[in-house]
Amino acid sequence: MHTDLEHEQSVARQLRALPPDSAHPYGWDEFRRRSEPRPTLTGHLASGRALAATVAVAVAACALAIRVGGLAHHPHAAPGQVQYGVARHEPAPRPADETPAERYLASLPREPALVHVGTRAAVETLEDDIAQVDDLVSAASAGSTPPASLQALLAERTQLVSSLVQVRYAESLAYASR
Amino acid sequence: MARLVDITVPEAVRVRACAGDEGARQVIYAAVAPATFTLIRRMISQRSAAEDVFQDTMMILFERLTEFRHEAPLGAWLRRIAISRCLMHLRSPWRRVRLALEGEALDELPAGNAGVTAPLPPEIIDVERALESLAPTARAVLWMYEVEGYSHAEIAQAFGRSISFSKSQLARAHLKLRAWFEPQGHRPTCTLI
Repeated sequence: MHTDLEHEQSVARQLRALPPDSAHPYGWDEFRRRSEPRPTLTGHLASGRALAATVAVAVAACALAIRVGGLAHHPHAAPGQVQYGVARHEPAPRPADETPAERYLASLPREPALVHVGTRAAVETLEDDIAQVDDLVSAASAGSTPPASLQALLAERTQLVSSLVQVRYAESLAYASR
Repeated sequence: MARLVDITVPEAVRVRACAGDEGARQVIYAAVAPATFTLIRRMISQRSAAEDVFQDTMMILFERLTEFRHEAPLGAWLRRIAISRCLMHLRSPWRRVRLALEGEALDELPAGNAGVTAPLPPEIIDVERALESLAPTARAVLWMYEVEGYSHAEIAQAFGRSISFSKSQLARAHLKLRAWFEPQGHRPTCTLI
């Protein structure tokens, strides 16, 4: 078992002995190509506006097609009568004359989609916060800070460490359930 | 390959580069690019992000070359720019959002990088993986202190934090590396907190 000092010296030695990154940077020609000025802001805005207009027209056309198609084929709609707020969660069987849009909507999952968010950002933030509180505790211990302030800092540190433990625990549960 | 901090460039080449001579700029690029990219890759593990920071750094180098005052080798001056750009990247809120959304998949392991020219010995890969296992801030502090020779005061200034911040980040980095390198039976159970 090494002492702390021996370990730190050994790590430093190993880090300094690391070879240069084997994935070389790109060459001068590529650097020049990437340095060339990009299209102007007005160009970006113009193309952005055109894209936004195209998307808006497409969305409007789709909405109109769904609305008109849905009304034209709805089995319960009397001639000339417009029905709004038709429930989409009616039980099967679905009518045979449903539109493609209705079939698509019916095929969507009932449950909301699950999004897995990584924990690294949370861990990083908590570790930074703990380091910051450590700073303050060190400064408070060295100076003439009232004991109440020091106690408050220690309590905050305990809370942060507790949060970090919870995140780590959740990580281990997620890992075990894979 | 020389360390970035030791790299110098002949004054005549620098003057020609300041005047816009393409050949002189190419000479400077060839001299400093590998060491600069290596430094950036040690601090930013994701290759695409490292390339962005590298590009920014080299563009700033040529834009500000006329401001170079010979108080230190050109490499030392460039190292300050590169580290400053790396820390800006690490502090970027966009990077934090991407980290939250993409999680572990964001960072690449060194053995899987594109463009690797030669296989590395296992002990080197182990050290690189240990370095990868650190949080980005802790990794940057560790590298700046142990390899680049920055003092705690200089690191604190670069991060805009206190000296205690630098010391606690370094201590935490060493604790994690120790847990990585110690045999399994000797690993303390609570070292990650």
